[in-house]
Amino acid sequence: MSKRARKKASSRPGPAPAGDARPASPSPVAPVGPEATVPVQEPAAASVPSPAPADEAPPEPAGPVWHHSLVDLVPEPVSERDLRSLMKDWRRGRATRHIWEVIQDGYVAVLAVVMIGAMIASVVWRAQGIAAECTTATCQTGRTLLPWAALFGTLAVTLAVARLFGPIVASAAEGFWLMDAPVRRSRLLAGRLVAVVVVAGIVSALFGGLVAALTGSPLAEAGIWAAASALGAAGLTAFAAAEQGADRHWTVRVLTWLAGALGLTALMAVVAVAAGWTTLGFDLTLGVRLAGIVGGVGVVLLLAGGAAAFARLDGMRRARLLSGGSLVSGMQGAMFAMDVGLMRDILVERDAMDRGHVRPTRGRGLGVNALVWRDLQRLIRFPKSLLLLLVGLVVPYAVGALGLGSFSPFISGMVLMTALVPLLGSLRVLSRTKGLARAFPFSTQDIRRAVMTVPAVLALLWAAAAVPAFAGLGSGTQHLPLLDAVIHAGLTGVAGLLAAVRWVTAKPADYGTPMVQTGMGAMPPGLMVNLFRGIDVMAGVTGPLLLGWSPWVSVVIAGVVFFLLQGGMSMEEAQAMQEEQKRQLADLKGAQGTAAPAGKTRIPPPAKR
Amino acid sequence: MAKQRIPVLRVSKLKKAYGPVTIVSDFSLEVWPGEAVALTGRNGAGKSTILRCLVGADKIDEGTIEVCGERMRESSPQIRRDLATVIDDLDFFPDLSVVEHLDLLARAHGLPDADAAVDEVLHEVQLVPQSGQLPGTLSSGQRRRLALATAFVRPRQLLILDEPEQRLDVEGVAWLAERLVAERQRGLAIVMASHEPTLVERVATRTLRIGGARGAQDGAA
Repeated sequence: MSKRARKKASSRPGPAPAGDARPASPSPVAPVGPEATVPVQEPAAASVPSPAPADEAPPEPAGPVWHHSLVDLVPEPVSERDLRSLMKDWRRGRATRHIWEVIQDGYVAVLAVVMIGAMIASVVWRAQGIAAECTTATCQTGRTLLPWAALFGTLAVTLAVARLFGPIVASAAEGFWLMDAPVRRSRLLAGRLVAVVVVAGIVSALFGGLVAALTGSPLAEAGIWAAASALGAAGLTAFAAAEQGADRHWTVRVLTWLAGALGLTALMAVVAVAAGWTTLGFDLTLGVRLAGIVGGVGVVLLLAGGAAAFARLDGMRRARLLSGGSLVSGMQGAMFAMDVGLMRDILVERDAMDRGHVRPTRGRGLGVNALVWRDLQRLIRFPKSLLLLLVGLVVPYAVGALGLGSFSPFISGMVLMTALVPLLGSLRVLSRTKGLARAFPFSTQDIRRAVMTVPAVLALLWAAAAVPAFAGLGSGTQHLPLLDAVIHAGLTGVAGLLAAVRWVTAKPADYGTPMVQTGMGAMPPGLMVNLFRGIDVMAGVTGPLLLGWSPWVSVVIAGVVFFLLQGGMSMEEAQAMQEEQKRQLADLKGAQGTAAPAGKTRIPPPAKR
Repeated sequence: MAKQRIPVLRVSKLKKAYGPVTIVSDFSLEVWPGEAVALTGRNGAGKSTILRCLVGADKIDEGTIEVCGERMRESSPQIRRDLATVIDDLDFFPDLSVVEHLDLLARAHGLPDADAAVDEVLHEVQLVPQSGQLPGTLSSGQRRRLALATAFVRPRQLLILDEPEQRLDVEGVAWLAERLVAERQRGLAIVMASHEPTLVERVATRTLRIGGARGAQDGAA
């Protein structure tokens, strides 16, 4: 496409404003030729019927007249670069401000980011110095094994995210306008492939390096860990892209599980060594040398996977590209609304769509018990969430082994909350919209109590299994008397459950209500609170334990929170009941007024001004 | 029979406004067992708003609504037992299959022979091949059939439907009309909003045309 044609096409007027309504009619295709190759919609009024041959009478046109049929159209070769620059022209043409103007306007935010970044860097630097001075066995073990756990954890997360999104994605608009066109997809997607690989590398490097630095590794070693994480993640992302091109999923899934299992093993080894249950039987510097090997493997994967992915870009399925793109746009929307619950809903829905089909099981029980039984059957069908709960059980032991026992109720409770959220899927669905809840013949309280039953039992089992950790099993840990350990573990379990229920049932911010003025601009009430949902309950219930207060304070707080969360005081219902009482009172007054005793004169109430 | 002395649904002087715009005002209605009332009217006339108020999904500004003699409270178990609804806010469990949704509802409503009821409804809505499918993978028409099935698989006194013909094919609309006529003849009450003249003609015993422009208070329903 020539530059002149592009300019001409981009300078054409856009769609008519809403007020300029014309009857709908199929759009004719623009004249073919070097002047205009992009189909442009012309107003129907501009159509002129083509002249008919003189020897035969032209048939009366029954509908809109087309200048050219697609059969007549001789397409010009399309340049992908021109198409992209045309899209860029359109986008820039619609921008009202330059990026630099936006930065100038948002200088406060920029300064805040710079300051926070500097503070984080300073904290990391100082923490690294302090940790490097520590020469105890726990510190040595942590320095050796924690970077491994972080490395494998990062790789597992990278693979999981890559599989979830694509890793190469395309927006719905690109799918509709560009993927249908006779263009080479590799030209459109090559930049995207490079971008995802680079981003995966940078983020992983930051995380890997940070963990290594915080465990007290010398800066050179931290650099090696960062490089290993970067190369490993970049290589695996390139590999995942190649598998996307081959439309294969199982390889990435297997690698994700493998990396996750290795990370978990490293984490458990840290706990075991710190608790004195075992010792490391190898040279502590071996880890760093092995990290170099991981980096090397990453380079190989990066080159081989990258080349394979690039070769397969042309054959990449549009549906696969677009499904990742739609997921990204959905997540972006939820993120802008700061609705983490919605983000999870999108992922759960996506997972269900991937699964597509299940073997149906017959339900059990009648009435409210049917809901409880169905939750149990769900757990048997999807035991992955149970696995997460079991893995979370390591945390109170790890926290205790690392000498942080006094913080265990909060830290372990947060992990328990995270593990319980997937088990509260029924509660989530029944509380996010009222339609399904209305179909069940129970009160809101009954429904909530029923769908909380299975998670509550699991939380109690978790708490029972965590009692030894609170009692101080292992060396170098805080020792609590057995009764106190039972109370602490029980309250942690209860706090985890209530925090998860709060997380699941919290309503999203209401953008329909009047905004609240804040330093960061206008915000709907509840937007910031939404971010801390669950954490607030956790802090409230476990706070007294951390402060050394009587556990009864926590028990009372937990009781109040339970009453509120199970729907004991829904504001809407309370309001409805209040209005109902008012109406009944008014009816009663009306009835008394009409049936006033004989001989008495009813004095009307004074009119309101 | 004592039950016939009170209407299944009694709406009195209902008013609903969104901010300064009154959508419905002074709307009254009584529906008796065996009656089917169809609300018709152009888009934006307030049909769906009325239905949302009737099921308790929207809070009313003025007036009263009673279902089987009980004042409307959305979370009332008795009202939930009597009232089956298919309006636009129905959600599904993403991890339960089609048949499991129906099974759960039938059991929750205490049906002693839930399996038979589920099988019957599943055949009727022609979702047997999809019985193991998760709702996210259903087409929009199949989702609509599932939504209707959730209303038919459980005991009810009153059925409230908002444009039930939506996304159904021609055969589906014919089946729905037949089913609703049978429901009515069995003594159940129906209130529905519809744009489908054949459905309204076949099912409704009374038709209310909801008119008036949005924002025009005097023209509200």
